[in-house]
Amino acid sequence: MQLTTQHLQLAGADLELHPYRAIFWQQEEALLIADLHLGKVQHFRREGFPLPQDVTNTNWDKLIALLLEYRPERVYFLGDLFHSDWNAEWEEFCDLMERFPRVAFSLVLGNHDRLSDKAYSRSRMDILDEPYQVGGLLLSHHPLGEHDAAYNLAGHIHPAVRLSGGGRQRLKLPCFYFGERTGILPAFGVFTGTKVLTPKSDDQVFVVTDSAVIRAT
Amino acid sequence: MQQQALIQRGTDWFDQQGWTPFPFQLEAWQAHLDGYHGLVNAPTGSGKTYSLGIPILLEFLRDHADDPGRTDNGLRAIWITPIRALTREIQGALQRAADDLGLNWRVAIRSGDTSSSERQRLKRKPPEVLITTPESLHLLLASKRYEKYFKDLSTIVIDEWHELIGSKRGVQIELALSRLKGFLPKLKVWGISATIGNMEEAISVLMGNADHPEQYKVIRANIDKQIELETILPDTIETFPWAGHLGITLIEKIVPIIKAGQSTLIFTNTRAQCEIWYQNLLNVAPDLAGIIAMHHGSIDRELRDWVENALHQGTLKAVVCTSSLDLGVDFRPVENIIQIGSPKGVARFIQRAGRSGHQPGATSQIFFVPTHSLELLEGAALRQAIEEKALESRMPYIRSFDVLIQYLITLAVSDGFFPDQIYKEVVGTYAYRSVTPEEWKWTLHFITTGGESLYAYDEYRKVEIEEDGRYQVNSRRVAMRHRLQIGTIVGDADMQVKYVKGSRLGSIEEWFVGQLKPGDTFWFAGRSLEMVRIKDMTVQVKRSNKKKGKIPSYQGGRMPLSSQLSAFLLTKMDQIRAGQLNDIELQTLKPLLDVQTERSHIPNRSEFLIEYFTSREGHHLVFYPFDGRNVHEGMGSLLAYRLSRIQPISFSIAMNDYGFELLSDIPIPIDEGLANELFSTRNLSQDIMDSINSAELAKRAFRRIASIAGLIFMGYPGKQKKDRHVQASSQLFFDVFRDYEPNNLLYQQAYDEVMAFQLEEARLRQALERINQQKIILSKPHKATPFAFPIIVDRLRERLTSEKLEDRVQRMKLQLVKD
Repeated sequence: MQLTTQHLQLAGADLELHPYRAIFWQQEEALLIADLHLGKVQHFRREGFPLPQDVTNTNWDKLIALLLEYRPERVYFLGDLFHSDWNAEWEEFCDLMERFPRVAFSLVLGNHDRLSDKAYSRSRMDILDEPYQVGGLLLSHHPLGEHDAAYNLAGHIHPAVRLSGGGRQRLKLPCFYFGERTGILPAFGVFTGTKVLTPKSDDQVFVVTDSAVIRAT
Repeated sequence: MQQQALIQRGTDWFDQQGWTPFPFQLEAWQAHLDGYHGLVNAPTGSGKTYSLGIPILLEFLRDHADDPGRTDNGLRAIWITPIRALTREIQGALQRAADDLGLNWRVAIRSGDTSSSERQRLKRKPPEVLITTPESLHLLLASKRYEKYFKDLSTIVIDEWHELIGSKRGVQIELALSRLKGFLPKLKVWGISATIGNMEEAISVLMGNADHPEQYKVIRANIDKQIELETILPDTIETFPWAGHLGITLIEKIVPIIKAGQSTLIFTNTRAQCEIWYQNLLNVAPDLAGIIAMHHGSIDRELRDWVENALHQGTLKAVVCTSSLDLGVDFRPVENIIQIGSPKGVARFIQRAGRSGHQPGATSQIFFVPTHSLELLEGAALRQAIEEKALESRMPYIRSFDVLIQYLITLAVSDGFFPDQIYKEVVGTYAYRSVTPEEWKWTLHFITTGGESLYAYDEYRKVEIEEDGRYQVNSRRVAMRHRLQIGTIVGDADMQVKYVKGSRLGSIEEWFVGQLKPGDTFWFAGRSLEMVRIKDMTVQVKRSNKKKGKIPSYQGGRMPLSSQLSAFLLTKMDQIRAGQLNDIELQTLKPLLDVQTERSHIPNRSEFLIEYFTSREGHHLVFYPFDGRNVHEGMGSLLAYRLSRIQPISFSIAMNDYGFELLSDIPIPIDEGLANELFSTRNLSQDIMDSINSAELAKRAFRRIASIAGLIFMGYPGKQKKDRHVQASSQLFFDVFRDYEPNNLLYQQAYDEVMAFQLEEARLRQALERINQQKIILSKPHKATPFAFPIIVDRLRERLTSEKLEDRVQRMKLQLVKD
């Protein structure tokens, strides 16, 4: 499938917005991913909710495809990487990190990230407190709201927008959402919902389909 | 005791009350005492309770002639009723008869309102008669050692079976009966039902594995009531609106009816309409303040009880209500019935009419208030339908795997179950008689492993298989969650509305609350309220003096016009074309029909009308099958799908009971479509399937299924913090099943239900066959016609497209904050 990305310059950073719902930051050679919600499938299953296990594989497939395509130096997860207490999916993720020894993995902790410190310290994952400044950007899980510091990139919201067209057509799509001081990434994980945001006219919005990122106007 | 002498005891008791038993009552007593199953076919208010209540008591007198006054006799009879409002009247009636006949029996109620201490008491010491709901019966099956609890049970009565049969609560009843009959071979199953179009089927469903004529008796009351229908006519049709569903324009004509009668029930079709009518009545007739009230399903139980009591005592001049007062106890003082807008079905209309005129032989008077011009047709159609007694059928649900899964977990939560035994019982029911061993295996697999082959790390926990082969739930958390979710009525997420001081008003849906800010005014339960804050999942409010405010609307399907009623609509159209304007409604409509003829065409029986025109909104293609909105929804999606194969195009689809519209931003290739068998029944099922996929209908049907099967968890009642970590929307489940597990039976059930109930595939096929026999009239009016207008203004739309998502996005605009 032909994938269409979009380029955006923000606070001096060249960002490539990818339809797999990730950002590649060219100067830093870093991949930014928010709200992966790993472990959710196993968590649900343990509680007796019958999610098919293969759902998880889609997460792995997309993540590996991005790592192979961009060969990043570092991956920043903007929170909610792991959905639950420890379960087997964490170990699978640790194995995946081992298979990319040249990539550094960092996590800005989110509200769902409640694994023990021990689980992290046994892995290759580097834990960062939010907000965490890299170059001209301030990374966090929760959007910082009103602030004077550098431009903020965050997750947490799982943003989507509504579009309308002639003949009473309407659509709701997940999006990358860039406001005046804060940009919000779409949720990466499969089996996560969205929240509809209503943009102001100055905001920049890029909607995401399975194969393309499209600037919405 | 001799049977004759026994029945005499019942007749004597009737004498003491000053009554004489009806022949159907005596017949029912006899049949029950002879040990038959059966069904009593009688309307509400006909003495149906005593047709089965008496023999239950007489049977005990017969079997315990030596000591009839003994206490603690175990649970002898269960009385199932779908509506809580009825339970107290039944309890009173049965308790009185039991006391008078010298029995020391307790008649008790167990429903959603019953306190947990009362439930515990009923559990420890069973009453002789338990009046309860389908859900509460399943809760009893979810408690330990239920077989012991039910061991003395001799009779189970399913009241208002005509109400239950067309819903999944009916399936719940079928399953509970199969289990009870499984360990109580002598149990007698009796139903009570009003007349419906498919009476024979209703009996088969109730009897299940006892569907053999020598095992049951059908007893008919044959009580007939005269109904007089009067349509409220606008003074001039020219100023009466072409579209709309509120009917407020005719409100001034209603006031004299209310004032003249002792008491009037005003039926509206939605809760929002109910609020609006109540408010407007007070505006046009302020002197009615204090003597009218309103009643709908979201108003708090206590307030509703107050209204019902006042109706009984005759202290209310009028009550504006919804279907919430369709059923239930009789209100003797009610003299007039007013129906606002289409009742959608003949049976419902007759049922509502029957809520007035209680004296034997009295005529029921009902007024019909059209909400837009064309609806006048329905007045005429209803009159003829009533004359011809064209009652609708209630189609039973079959193969509901969601209910089956819930039931199996219920059994696993209590004493566990052995699959071979339960399989035999389950396939003995009408709903599941076609379930194959493979499907049964899938279902067992689904509840034990979540439908997957387990691998080493998997921690799936729900039902576990014990060493002796028993299927059992061991996790207390799973068991607790399950008990909270037993039931098949899936509501939208509701929030309580309370005064700051604490008294309850009722509930509104969460999405509506989301639109309110503190300080906003809204109307609810006939009051103007100011939202103060949201606290602990309740909306706290105080009284407001503001006249203007939002009115909560409630999601949930709109009722379709029944096929019975639509058949009569077609008859009326035909009469119009032939110039036979015998009905006053048709005469009144004449000027409007002239406009329709002038701009376009009025089809007769052998013609099918399509209108194609352009407006600022785009290109409108409107079809008029007069088959009810469900069939129109299906046909609309189907035709949109077929047209969209000619070229990439996106449609939004609107429909009402008379027709449907395909709207597009680009010209619609209708000529090519008609040349290529647009209405063909070839490949119909596959084309419908594909169009359902595109139109996302199945996704919505799946929501209820997922909830009943326990895939989604609504949280613990009264707990502020929801269990967010295990909450996921049914949409997400639908998507993952579609992408990863398309053979999942719950996923497939969504399509089956859409086909059978929503799009009514059988009716759709018939409609297409009819259209294929008709002459197509493609009219191109210069602007919207009276027929088209009510459809094209509807905002609630389906969507279907054959364009690439990326191409559509390019032509669309972001919805921005309005400054």
